[in-house]
Amino acid sequence: MRNIFYLFIGVLFFSACSNDDYEKILPKNPALAVQIPENFPAVNAAYYTNTPTEFGVALGEKLFNDKRFSTDNSISCASCHIQSHAFADDKPRAIGVANREGIRNTPPIQNLAFMKFYNWDGSKLQLEKQAIVPIITHEEMDSSLSQVIAKISKDEDYTALFIKAFGDEEITSDRIYKSIAQYEYTLISANSKYDKVVRDKTETFTETEQQGYEVFQQKCASCHATALFTDQSFRNIGFPLNTNTNETGRARVTGNLEDYMSFRVPSLRNIAYTAPYGSFGQFNTLKEVLDYFDEGVLEADNLDPIFKENNNSIPLTEQEKEQLIAFMHTLSDAKFVSGK
Amino acid sequence: MKNIKKYILLTLTVLAIVSCSDDDSAPVANNVTLSFTNTFNDTPIVLGDATATEATENTSAAGQVHHFAELKYVISNIRLIETDGSEIPYHINNLDKGATVINQAKPQSLNYVLSDIPTGDYKQIKFGLGVRSDLNVLDETKFPNFYAAAGENDTEMMWEWGTGYRFTKIEGFYDADHKEMSIHTGSTIDDDEEGNFIQGVDAYRDITLDLTENAIVGSKAPKINIKADFNNLLSGKSNTITLTSGSGMNDNATPNVHTAVQMMKFVDNLGGNGQSDTKGMFSIQGVEN
Repeated sequence: MRNIFYLFIGVLFFSACSNDDYEKILPKNPALAVQIPENFPAVNAAYYTNTPTEFGVALGEKLFNDKRFSTDNSISCASCHIQSHAFADDKPRAIGVANREGIRNTPPIQNLAFMKFYNWDGSKLQLEKQAIVPIITHEEMDSSLSQVIAKISKDEDYTALFIKAFGDEEITSDRIYKSIAQYEYTLISANSKYDKVVRDKTETFTETEQQGYEVFQQKCASCHATALFTDQSFRNIGFPLNTNTNETGRARVTGNLEDYMSFRVPSLRNIAYTAPYGSFGQFNTLKEVLDYFDEGVLEADNLDPIFKENNNSIPLTEQEKEQLIAFMHTLSDAKFVSGK
Repeated sequence: MKNIKKYILLTLTVLAIVSCSDDDSAPVANNVTLSFTNTFNDTPIVLGDATATEATENTSAAGQVHHFAELKYVISNIRLIETDGSEIPYHINNLDKGATVINQAKPQSLNYVLSDIPTGDYKQIKFGLGVRSDLNVLDETKFPNFYAAAGENDTEMMWEWGTGYRFTKIEGFYDADHKEMSIHTGSTIDDDEEGNFIQGVDAYRDITLDLTENAIVGSKAPKINIKADFNNLLSGKSNTITLTSGSGMNDNATPNVHTAVQMMKFVDNLGGNGQSDTKGMFSIQGVEN
């Protein structure tokens, strides 16, 4: 008993001390000036609790590219989220450690600060809560936070970066989540030809692109809305079904049958770099997607009303498809995918 | 500084009281063992593979014969209620110390020993089937022992995409042709930064059971015998369930029960609906003082 009492007094003593004379001068970690495009919707409220800093972002980028996040040190976040593919990849479904195949197509990582939902089924509402998913998932990195921290804590580069980013060298899960999210917040793509035409008015569409833009507004823009080209809703649009037994779309999160096989409307930005398309890579080309819409989608009880009201299809002439594809190519941001 | 003095005084007083009771003949605290018996009605469950003859068979209200090959569930948030109504929480915010995985295949897991329960007479027990949302994150650094007990990534007591633990995991077979049944439960609940939007399902269930007689903790360490009647899985107070195989949106035997779609019916049957039923499949068989 006595020991516990002394320990208690001891703890009080130390904590009292640290309140008074602890005034360490921390290295400067300036806030990063993130350019928020004027035509974009509001950022996720979580962003304001974790605004990017110079060293937070540098740390996040290093972590994003670190293969020690996977159990056998074979893949990093960047192995599937490849910059030249707008931080997606070119495979139908993501390939994790030991060539394990996941159930869904790798989503591009762009403009995430402006998203209200993360993952195709929207299972996470803050980016800071998302990073754990690929780390622990069997078909992705198959690791754990303790494993990751044990591996990187021996690395002096990280010690230095954690001090600069967070004030001391302690590596915690929360700091890992925060710094990766900060890095991802900076991945903003808003310099496509579309932006230069519509927002900056410094360029003009070709005739085909302009016609595509008009068809797009008429037949696509109710879902692919705003400057993000997604209204961030979840819809079942009757795409060929993923027969993987764990797939039910957003219903897997909500438990509502109305959400069965519904997925977040994908942004169309940089769509030319992110083939194949669909939640599990059902389509190899944009043309295949448009042909499918034109020919008619699968019937479902919860098929999106827009399709139900139009005989389960989006009728498109061959010329309209060409025009749409030309327009969608104006959403390519060459600077973003080259990293220059 | 004034506050600190107050704390020291308070600590001294508490210590004084605690050390006083040290002198008495009865110990200040003792163990309480929670002993779980998993049954179909009154018959203890024996596990077995598809064609095992020794496996305990059960027939549901809808007439489906079934048996289990694997049976696991998580117990956490344990509280004992004294006869005067005061609640003694047992490491309710620490999964390493206060949560366990009951695994029918591991007999030693069926007895969970609560240590250092204060001397007193207890009339009721409360516990959770599953893990409370505020603790339900698959971050190994938070509760490494429970994380290991839940089986890291290979015993499938984890929902990686939901980043939470699986609360119940049942593998088995049903109907004469031994079709596979695979029923997993877990929470998917999440809220946004400002708490304005909540999505997903909460599969955690709080259970309240009156003890058949008071558990008297003191010179003796009582044992509370708890029955978990898995007849409730398909034939519960909330739902009468008919299993169907397939991958359609209404199929429930396997595999899309791994998702939230059909899962909540099983959750309510096993753990109660959280309102009119706070017992679910659980009952007290007796108390051994």
